[in-house]
Amino acid sequence: MIKASLRGLLHRKLRLTLAIVAIVLSVGFLSAITVLNDTLNKRFSGLFQTLNENVAVQVQAKEVSTGETPRLTAAQLQQLSNVDGVNGTSGDVSDEAVVPFKKDGNEVTAQGFVGVGASGDDPLGLISLREGTWPKTASEVALSANTAKLAGVKRGEIIKVFVSQVGEPKPYTVSGIVEFSGGRDSLAGESLVIFELGHAQEMFYGQKDVFAGASFSADSGVSQEELKKRITAALPSGFEAKTGDEVTEEQSNQLAGQFDFIKIILNTFAYVAAFVGIFLIYNTFNIVVAQRSRELALLRAMGASWGQVTGAVILEALIVGVVGSTLGLAAGIGAGMWGESALTGALGAEIKSAGVVVSPAAIITAYVIGILVTLIAAFVPAIKASLVPPLAAMREIARPDKSLKGLSITGAALAVPGVGIALLGLYASFTGSIFVMGFGLVLALIGLMLLSPLLARPVVRVVGMAVAWGQAGKLGVRNSLRNPRRTAVTAIALMIGVTLIGAAATVVSSFKHSLQADIGKYDVAIMIVGPNYAPPNGKTGFEASALDKVEALPGVTGAEPWWLTIESSIAGQPIPVVATDVAAAQKMWKLETVGGALRTLSAGEFVSDHNTAKSLNWKVGDSVKVRVGTTERDYKLVGIYKATPSVSGPVFGLPAVDDFEGKLAYQGFVTVAPGTDVAATVAATEKIMAGYPGVTVGDMSTFLKQFNQIFDFLLLAVTILLGMALLIAVLGILNTLLLSIVERTREMGLVRAIGLSRGGVVRMIGVESILISVFGALLGLAAGVGIGVLLCQALIEGDFLTEIVLPWGNLAAYVGAAMFFGIVAAIIPAWRAAKLDVLEAIAYE
Amino acid sequence: MAMQPAARAVTVWKIYGSGEAQVQALRGVSADFERGKYTAIMGPSGSGKSTLMHCLAGLDTVNAGEVFIGDTQVTGLGDAGLTKLRRDKVGFIFQQFNLLPTLTAEENIKLPLAIAGRAPDKAWYDTVIQTVGLGDRLHHRPAELSGGQQQRVACARALVSRPEVIFADEPTGNLDSKSGNDVLNFLRDSVRHHGQTIVMVTHDPNAASYADRVVFLADGEIVDELHSPTADGVLDRMKKLDRRGDADA
Ligand SMILES: Nc1ncnc2c1ncn2[C@@H]1O[C@H](COP(=O)(O)OP(=O)(O)OP(=O)(O)O)[C@@H](O)[C@H]1O
Ligand SMILES: [Mg+2]
Repeated sequence: MIKASLRGLLHRKLRLTLAIVAIVLSVGFLSAITVLNDTLNKRFSGLFQTLNENVAVQVQAKEVSTGETPRLTAAQLQQLSNVDGVNGTSGDVSDEAVVPFKKDGNEVTAQGFVGVGASGDDPLGLISLREGTWPKTASEVALSANTAKLAGVKRGEIIKVFVSQVGEPKPYTVSGIVEFSGGRDSLAGESLVIFELGHAQEMFYGQKDVFAGASFSADSGVSQEELKKRITAALPSGFEAKTGDEVTEEQSNQLAGQFDFIKIILNTFAYVAAFVGIFLIYNTFNIVVAQRSRELALLRAMGASWGQVTGAVILEALIVGVVGSTLGLAAGIGAGMWGESALTGALGAEIKSAGVVVSPAAIITAYVIGILVTLIAAFVPAIKASLVPPLAAMREIARPDKSLKGLSITGAALAVPGVGIALLGLYASFTGSIFVMGFGLVLALIGLMLLSPLLARPVVRVVGMAVAWGQAGKLGVRNSLRNPRRTAVTAIALMIGVTLIGAAATVVSSFKHSLQADIGKYDVAIMIVGPNYAPPNGKTGFEASALDKVEALPGVTGAEPWWLTIESSIAGQPIPVVATDVAAAQKMWKLETVGGALRTLSAGEFVSDHNTAKSLNWKVGDSVKVRVGTTERDYKLVGIYKATPSVSGPVFGLPAVDDFEGKLAYQGFVTVAPGTDVAATVAATEKIMAGYPGVTVGDMSTFLKQFNQIFDFLLLAVTILLGMALLIAVLGILNTLLLSIVERTREMGLVRAIGLSRGGVVRMIGVESILISVFGALLGLAAGVGIGVLLCQALIEGDFLTEIVLPWGNLAAYVGAAMFFGIVAAIIPAWRAAKLDVLEAIAYE
Repeated sequence: MAMQPAARAVTVWKIYGSGEAQVQALRGVSADFERGKYTAIMGPSGSGKSTLMHCLAGLDTVNAGEVFIGDTQVTGLGDAGLTKLRRDKVGFIFQQFNLLPTLTAEENIKLPLAIAGRAPDKAWYDTVIQTVGLGDRLHHRPAELSGGQQQRVACARALVSRPEVIFADEPTGNLDSKSGNDVLNFLRDSVRHHGQTIVMVTHDPNAASYADRVVFLADGEIVDELHSPTADGVLDRMKKLDRRGDADA
């Protein structure tokens, strides 16, 4: 029995291959993403391991405190270095956003910008001189080899360096070039500028002989834990000590946290692809087993029991599942390795590779998805096949259309309430209403999937009228309708990807139009935006005084700076703190007062938009805890304004900026009198901002264009990330067609025998393929636009959007693309069908 | 000009395989199939009946010799030529699985015309439909028809495009005698009343007795023929052939 079944398996190489390919693709992408994640994680944590190689204990200011950030004095540092067991001591004088300029006046582009103060050789041995000397005076700097290369300067030459506290680039003489342990030019492609110690302390901390913290190496025989205990005993207040291992872990977690967002997105798309793959595997196995129902019936007629027949099919599925999962995992590991080298080639080639990481989770996921889905996909038709009376199944397969009634009723029973629940979640406002909306949408989507076999008939008929010409085309339409379930499952695989793309396109198009319409309402003509090489915290951007110069330009009627930090939390939520002159902002952005007053704020006051106030339950007069950097203070809500797509969220007054890491403004808005030459004003403003690294200036249309480009890029990214899911779906169409053709071999022979040409056969199959893919695309667009419109409506409720604009151009392009993919998917099946020998086809069993 | 035969084989050789496993399925077969006549091909199993028919119909290639349908030389035609030949000049009836399951009986009958993009000749179409005698079952799918009904639909389909010749390989092989006779009557009427040419392979002496002429094949050669056969006459010859085969062995 088992032998017969296994022989049957090997006999059908095509079907076997298709089933395995289906599993490999679905499992492969997921495995690739997991392996890539794990491998990159290990590689980045390796970075911090070298950074903290000789650090036994590190002393840092405590996380949250009120008032001034504490500093270590030179005397305190000396005291700590005298602790028993301390070998080397390195005081920490460092800052981010220290940006060197190239000779041509443009700032260097690098993976991060670090500035440190040093008085000579690094006691912990991470950095050492390669050539020249350490900086001895306030007009000298040493550069890492990577920085010198990026800036194109050599020892003895002049380099301009921007330090946020200084506020403008200053020239320095390069006294030496340094390297990292192991002779590396950089740790991870970053820029490093080393100032003379006292000069750095004065710039960064405003006084000599203070340090932000310190790192210590240990005498041999003293453990990290032991040294930490001893140093903690000697610590001044406001400081804490951590072991080198703790610091490494913290830092890599922090970095991993920054990558989490990308990881979550990649994983999401990988699971979407795997989900689509489930349909592919299911359909493939389902068809394969259904085609064998005659053979299974024969076995039953010869006395095989129900269990034997089902068991044989399950065994087959298990073998195919294991083989497919293993190959998929292997392909995933290969793709993950390739992905790592491609990504790090672009980003962190300097970081040493830590080898490929294949976690147990990756292996388990691969096998669970591959095997489980295959088993389920095989089980359902096997049960069906074993329940059919043997003789009925052995007769010519003339499966009359099964009723779609039950399926459709279930689908409607899910879809209709689903839409209702989604609308409820949209319009009713209670906590978690967004999840209610999501739940409703999921129900509606499942309902639509169950309804899709019923929808196949009318949709395919109508689309068929457009794409099917001639008798061959008509036969293609018939064929795609003969098994609506099969057509629907194949189309659903495509629908899933298209749904997401359609929803994203709808939201993006609405965003673009809303922003354009809203921006047009204000007199703001020019925008100044800070750099994006570091998260805004006051250390990147420009000095507010620079805007005074802008205000003095001819025709300029106002120029307002906005400060921004994301190192903050409001009422415990990670909300950015934005500060500006609220009275001026109210005028410039035509803010509507909802409660309290919109006026210039003093210390301890803030205003908020009505949506944030509502969702966090704030009323005018309420006191809210706000943390900026390490400082936490109470702020009183004095005014509430109506949110617009341009301005929303809590806004603070100028005094709040004192708590920012630096005093640089991040954004500036300029209004001009009518008739002013905007292009000339932009050019003049650019000149004023030239000394601030990464600051860009543009008129509103330029910025709108940039926003549009960002939106378009996001949409493109979504489309590309869904590419795998779409590829799997197209493969699904190919699979279904190939298998259907095997099933209809004799029909192919028959139509050829009565005069259908090869081209006719090709057309027949092409039409069937196009119909399936277009049906899938239409289902997906219907669902996607529906979801997109609901999301937009939710965003309108939140005043982020003002209008919903459907992206007709995109939608039409998606249908066109679906047609194209349909044609591509048909190539191989059509070619196979066309080259069938008429005689053999007719004699095919 | 003398009446040209509807189909013609000239010293046709057909060899399958090579070396040890070589089978000479047809060994220099020459035969004319007259226009407007009903010819049956008989012979023991494996004698080359199906092979001869496939070669005549252009479904299979020959190793040597020539095949003509009307004035068209079949041997040497490419796929496009063969497709045109099937569209315009020949009709087929197979032993089983003759119809497309997605089409109704009527649509199946019209299929060759639709494929060729020709409009049916109304009068002829009505005649054919009448002769099939399916009545209201014309709009049913094949799965809802009996085997005999299905085969009559297949015959009608072969007739509807008025091909030069219809080839039928054991068209009654899967039917009981009543349904079989219905089909055979149908075929004979189309020859008698409408001048259709039919070449039919069969094992059944009774089926052969409907034909105007019977050609006997044995070991890939034509060994005998019989005009205006009766079932008994055919049976007699068959027995002789069998004996001959036994003697050879
Ligand atoms: N594709 C093929 N490959 C090899 N040998 C073949 C092939 N088709 C037929 N033959 C051989 O050619 C010979 C004639 O076969 P054919 O099918 O014409 O016989 P037949 O007279 O139709 O027999 P039956 O009455 O059993 O249908 C047989 O010996 C057969 O084994
Ligand atoms: Mg035969």
